[in-house]
Amino acid sequence: MSPRSLLFAASAFGLMSLQTPAQADVNPEALVEPVAEYKLYVLDNLDQFVSHTEKFTQAIEAGDLERAQVLYAPTRVYYERIEPIAELFADLDASIDAREDDYENGVEDPDFTGFHRLEYGLFKEQTTQGFVPYAKRLMTDVNDLESRVRDLTFPPAQVVGGAAALMEEVAATKVSGEEDRYSHTDLWDFQGNVDGSQKIFELFKPLVAEEDPAFVDRVEKNFAEVEDTLAHYRREADNPEAGFVSYEKVSQTDRRAFVGPVTVLAEDLATLRGKLGL
Amino acid sequence: MPPSSPPSARLLKIGVLASAVLMLAALGLFALSLNGRNHDDGDVRLVVTAQGCEPRELSVPAGETRFSIVNDSQRAIEWEILDGVMVLEERENIAPDLHQPLTATLAAGDYAMTCGLLSNPHGTLHVTANDAAPSIALSRQDFIAPLAEYKVYLTLQTRRLVEAAEALHQSIAAGELDAARTAYCEARLIDQRLAMATGLYSDLDERLNARADYFAEREQDPQFVGFHRLARGLFDAGSTGGLTPIAAQLLEDARTLGERLRHQSIPPAQLANGSARVLKAWHAHAIDSKTLNAQELLDLQGLTAGAEKIVTLLAPLLERQAPDALEGLQAQLARLQQDLPEQSNTVSGAKGSSDIDRDALLADTQALADTLDSLDRTLALNG
Repeated sequence: MSPRSLLFAASAFGLMSLQTPAQADVNPEALVEPVAEYKLYVLDNLDQFVSHTEKFTQAIEAGDLERAQVLYAPTRVYYERIEPIAELFADLDASIDAREDDYENGVEDPDFTGFHRLEYGLFKEQTTQGFVPYAKRLMTDVNDLESRVRDLTFPPAQVVGGAAALMEEVAATKVSGEEDRYSHTDLWDFQGNVDGSQKIFELFKPLVAEEDPAFVDRVEKNFAEVEDTLAHYRREADNPEAGFVSYEKVSQTDRRAFVGPVTVLAEDLATLRGKLGL
Repeated sequence: MPPSSPPSARLLKIGVLASAVLMLAALGLFALSLNGRNHDDGDVRLVVTAQGCEPRELSVPAGETRFSIVNDSQRAIEWEILDGVMVLEERENIAPDLHQPLTATLAAGDYAMTCGLLSNPHGTLHVTANDAAPSIALSRQDFIAPLAEYKVYLTLQTRRLVEAAEALHQSIAAGELDAARTAYCEARLIDQRLAMATGLYSDLDERLNARADYFAEREQDPQFVGFHRLARGLFDAGSTGGLTPIAAQLLEDARTLGERLRHQSIPPAQLANGSARVLKAWHAHAIDSKTLNAQELLDLQGLTAGAEKIVTLLAPLLERQAPDALEGLQAQLARLQQDLPEQSNTVSGAKGSSDIDRDALLADTQALADTLDSLDRTLALNG
């Protein structure tokens, strides 16, 4: 009996040390449909992005400061949702969405274009004057993005990885309020990132739900928590279109309250690729 | 239950001791592996400073490489490997003074690296051909992307087909012959792009695409409906008379096709094989007719566009497995496209068979179909 218990202890230990990451049991063909559905989601959002950008840039060209300010955040939302794909095009990601700190000379850099250049004009300098060329350039870039994404065969690993990437981005660079430092419309971007991440999770969830229900529960719980915190700051509780209050009004406690669930989401969702064998 | 004798204390002690030793050994190994990970000589180290990448140029062999990116600047950075403007791999949010690993599998060629600030110059990454690395056979994972893209294509094209079929139905119901002819061409072009996928459903394929020859009473057969029946009326008889129920049926069938394709899974081997099949079917019919009329040319145009999509989808896989085969395939496709009249001409029916080199068209269709047919072997696909 004793040698047997020794053997048992030793083999249990052996098994422990042999523990490898869970092998993916997902049939690769099962990924085809969610990847396709995701592209359709991205294309729908891109259509919206193009038409909203048209209105936004037309307001700038018409010198309508107030309207341009109002349209800034609701236009960006569509970009924020589809960022995992949009940022695959390095040149356009830079010209559409780069921040001033991406350039050595900040706002003085002639290459600094896109939303945040316009944000600087509309919200810091409070003018549309001199910003028409940037508006025109943005429209060209957004149209260019639309046609490139249409022709793109989506890389499955990047699609699935996008769920985590979006949440990482929120945790690392958005909670601080640096993204929309002049307009303070950060919560709109948050919501866009959360929407985009959640969409990817929902599409692939059926493939992991059976094998790892605890994972699915945890992710859903954390998404719900983030959504709850966001809901406190909606301008109108029942109307998502009305958007959010200024990020300046978000308490330090709530800013910190985002970090917890968002970080856990980023970590959990980062395992999705492995779970799906990508 | 038989009573078990109590384990001897001495043996138990040995057991505990032995597991402790094993545990220590395992911990030691674990510590070693951690250590190795930080200073692993296999990692390709790259430092990003406030000014850019150090070194500015890197050279690695093709295949899998583990990079270790060190942020030696004052702000959080991202590091990307670019192929042209496309991001192949990226590591975001590397905090100052930290380093992060990134594992990338790269094919031979020259790539760019982003190096911190957008205003910093890009670095260069040379990936050299690596004969030692075994060529990796395609896996089922490799077909996820092309199959998903094909599904998107089918979804978008069937949406357009339904819209075009609506316009066709409306103009026929209104008795507008010219508008109906234009709408027919628009719808038929899309229908033929989808021919391979529609072929998965014999009922729909028959109702949409079957020719009169396949019916007992040919043109007079009540079962003879769909595009060929409409073409008979619109182009041969020059009338919309009696076509309204046929156009209504066609619209309904287009909708059904869209719904079915939405959840249809298509086996990888079908992509090339199915495109070859529909081109051959066209060829078999065309070779029997002395002249090619505008409708037959329109059909081939649609089929060729469908084949072009397949070639685009398989190109990255062929490039890896058989670059020569890819080159041949693309050349054959281009030749066939050149033989075909401009789309606008065909739609208006202006450019007829007289301007077309029938023999070249037939030969090039056959050649493309044959090559497509051989692709599954090239890609080592079956089923």
